[in-house]
Amino acid sequence: MTSATGTPNQLRLLSRIPASHLAAGAAFLALALYPVVNPWNAYSQGVALLAFLLAIQASGWNIISGYAGYTSLGQSMFLGLGSYTVAIVGLHTGVNPFWLAPLGGVTAVVVAVLVGSVVLRTRGHAFVIITIALLLAAQIIATNFDALTNGSDGITLELPFWSSDYQNIPFYYAFLLLLVLAVLFSAWIRRTKFGTGLIAIREDEGKAAAIGVDTTRFKIAAYGASTFFAGVAGGVYAYFLTFLNPVGAFAILGSVMIVLSSLLGGRGTLYGPVVGAFIVQGLNEAATVYGGGTGSRVLLMGLALVAVVLFLPAGLLPTAQRLWRQRRPQTVEHTDQRGALATPSRADVIEARDRAELGDGEDRADVIAGDDVAVPLLELRGLTKRFGGILAVDNVDLTVRKGTITAIIGPNGSGKTTLFNLVTGTMAANAGEIRFAGRRIDGLPPWKRGHLGLGRTFQVTRLFREMSVLENVVAPLPDGRWRTMLADAVSGAEADRARELLDVVGMGRFAAQRAGSLSYGQQKLVELAQVLMLEPELMLLDEPAGGVNPSLLDRLKDVIREVNARGITFLVVEHNIPMVLDLCDPIVVFSRGRPIAEGPPAQIRSDPIVLDAYLGDDWRPTSSGSGGGPVPGGSVPDHELSTGRG
Amino acid sequence: MAQLIQALVLGLLIGGVYALMASGLTLIFGVMHIINIAQGAFLIVVATFTWWLWRDTGIDPILASAVTAPLMFGLGWLLYRLVISRIRGQSPSMSVLLTFGIALVLEGILNVVAGNKFKSATPSYFADSFAVGPVHLPKTQVYGFLAAVVVLAGLYVVLTYTWTGRAIRAMSQNPSAAALVGVSPAGTAALAFALGSASAGVGGSILSVLYPFFPASHFDWISRLLGIVVLGGMGSLPGALVGALALGLAETLTATYASLRWSTLVFYLVIMVVLLLRPEGLFGARLREDGVAA
Repeated sequence: MTSATGTPNQLRLLSRIPASHLAAGAAFLALALYPVVNPWNAYSQGVALLAFLLAIQASGWNIISGYAGYTSLGQSMFLGLGSYTVAIVGLHTGVNPFWLAPLGGVTAVVVAVLVGSVVLRTRGHAFVIITIALLLAAQIIATNFDALTNGSDGITLELPFWSSDYQNIPFYYAFLLLLVLAVLFSAWIRRTKFGTGLIAIREDEGKAAAIGVDTTRFKIAAYGASTFFAGVAGGVYAYFLTFLNPVGAFAILGSVMIVLSSLLGGRGTLYGPVVGAFIVQGLNEAATVYGGGTGSRVLLMGLALVAVVLFLPAGLLPTAQRLWRQRRPQTVEHTDQRGALATPSRADVIEARDRAELGDGEDRADVIAGDDVAVPLLELRGLTKRFGGILAVDNVDLTVRKGTITAIIGPNGSGKTTLFNLVTGTMAANAGEIRFAGRRIDGLPPWKRGHLGLGRTFQVTRLFREMSVLENVVAPLPDGRWRTMLADAVSGAEADRARELLDVVGMGRFAAQRAGSLSYGQQKLVELAQVLMLEPELMLLDEPAGGVNPSLLDRLKDVIREVNARGITFLVVEHNIPMVLDLCDPIVVFSRGRPIAEGPPAQIRSDPIVLDAYLGDDWRPTSSGSGGGPVPGGSVPDHELSTGRG
Repeated sequence: MAQLIQALVLGLLIGGVYALMASGLTLIFGVMHIINIAQGAFLIVVATFTWWLWRDTGIDPILASAVTAPLMFGLGWLLYRLVISRIRGQSPSMSVLLTFGIALVLEGILNVVAGNKFKSATPSYFADSFAVGPVHLPKTQVYGFLAAVVVLAGLYVVLTYTWTGRAIRAMSQNPSAAALVGVSPAGTAALAFALGSASAGVGGSILSVLYPFFPASHFDWISRLLGIVVLGGMGSLPGALVGALALGLAETLTATYASLRWSTLVFYLVIMVVLLLRPEGLFGARLREDGVAA
């Protein structure tokens, strides 16, 4: 073994690391060596150190506002909280601020989690409003609590213990270390199912809840996680400044720079906030040097923010990436018709299910063990939903028995999708009970129902368009454990399972594609794999055949049958009557918000009530002579029934 | 007892002014789902302009709203057409960041042209008050309240009885249906933004006599207004009215019975409690898509 053979191997290994990581590593080395190479330039070290500080905060902001999509305008509060924690504790205990800095991080996380558990329980706009209000409130509290904070006079900290010959070099390395940790932390989060769940929340929060993502917990955890390193850095920053007052510690301009950095570099990317922070800090420094107090810096940052939002909303890194891709277009993969149409081998499905059941709880095992078809799995009693004066679901009693493929058919507007929404928890019912496997589930949030084994697909597919196909399938969480949440989503067991499920539905070759670039029928198949990842006992399919071409439809039916053979129950809403008659038993017919008939396909096919519901009273051709009337025992061919859609 | 009555009346008076200021914010949110963070900066810009007018020409600051309101109407319309309409269709967080940026630009401009110091318009009646029995009502508060009520009533009439007003309300309830019956989404949004800005025109003029202000105080104001809107329910005009009166009372009572410096915090406290107990606000309707509360 000579070095000559070793080097190409190492090079090959190196070339497999993405270019962005290599660039980041090189930048880190250069920054780590800089004080050694040029130890006497205190000014440039000072500028770099502030850029590190900003980058730490911007990386944190990116977790809640980039990954999860909940914009925080008051993120600089956590720097101030860390600073005050360390300064106050240091003052009373005499411990060096360096050792207390992690305590600053803890304070920041505790406050974020407390605030988050109030504000992040709901969707929408309250969060952004509260973040800015809190920053201002923190200023007022710090000013008024003079017993603790010494009011607007501020707190003076001890001077650094090292000889002044070392200048700020220890601070430089402290912030650089924190920055590296903050970026690694952010990268780790993005790789876990926690990270995938956050992106899912950003893309479609309702759908995220439907695939078992505990959106409340995820958002609160993300808010907490976004503040830790900012809090620690705040402690170090207080020591660096050796002086602290409310206006400086809780500065709005600080928040502006955090937001601007992440946005400029590329919100939601790993390195974007860091790149942005270096540019923004440079800009800030230039503004300070070339005459300009706080006032003109506010103007500058405001103009920059407006310009970035209007002209560079995606940020530098994603825009550069897009231009790069345009110059070197990748070959587009066409529909994998052959792959998708190949009959799935039964073994594939079984294997995938077996794997899925590996880490399962016992409750699922006993359900499958009792192989009794007559056992009710889903029971609805007196379920009612009103929209204003309209009764969308009217006092419905319905039982779905274990092991069946039950269908609900009925004209549009008969309450089928609303019924699904009530069962999965997307909407709350006005009255009635829902029991699943004997347990009452109305009142549980959607994700808990998902954890119990309720999975659903949507009438119009709701994949997370910006995620890859694989990430879409990895995203669901079959249970609410922290261990599952922090499991690796990019490689390892979870990703392997997702790949297998993609193979089952014939979409394995598309794993790396962006979900938004798939055709509609392909998205339907991916959504099916996504729900299978949830390890459901009951799958609710909302018009699975809608928009799917006939050859893919056969594939779909096969997949449903195979999965059903493994003990998974289906409840299907569908307008494609031939498919329903072929696949489902029993069939429930809905009209005006309530079931009007239920039975095996043969019975439903010939039930006059069903035809009335679909076609109205005047469907019967008025035969000449003797008055028309329901033909007793007459049966209508499938294709005529299927005209009832519309 | 007299102290309590005094506090209650003062709270209602200031609440009326808050209601006017918050109405613009909630109107804009209702129609285009944009949280206009710059609404506070609008107030301060107008207050500064009013202060100039008053100092140089002697025009009464509150009456100056006859000038500032149409001016802000035009500026708001232009701002919407030239800047804000460019991000229609993007994610809502971008609009927050855009209006945040606009607020900073306005603050920066004020810093440069008006200087970073406190101002306050002090017309001749500044220190006078009406005495009703044991209760003393500062004239500035009473006049400000009256102006706010007149403008709010006007706004109500416009929204209820004019075609434009109905178009604005239609847009806020169902944009696609409104577009189908001939309401231009972009035109209506621009009008709503202009109306919201005009309300800040009157509000800013009133502010100039009620409170000292400087460029960065727009953040205090926007957080107050946002608090009111969160309390009342985002996008609900009656909600903004009730929220403003409630918070005006809470603030005045705290200032009277606890301490002036904690009175601002009451705002934030109320917001947090409301969000904890009733996240949709007092008058906000839960959206149909919303999930079951955890």
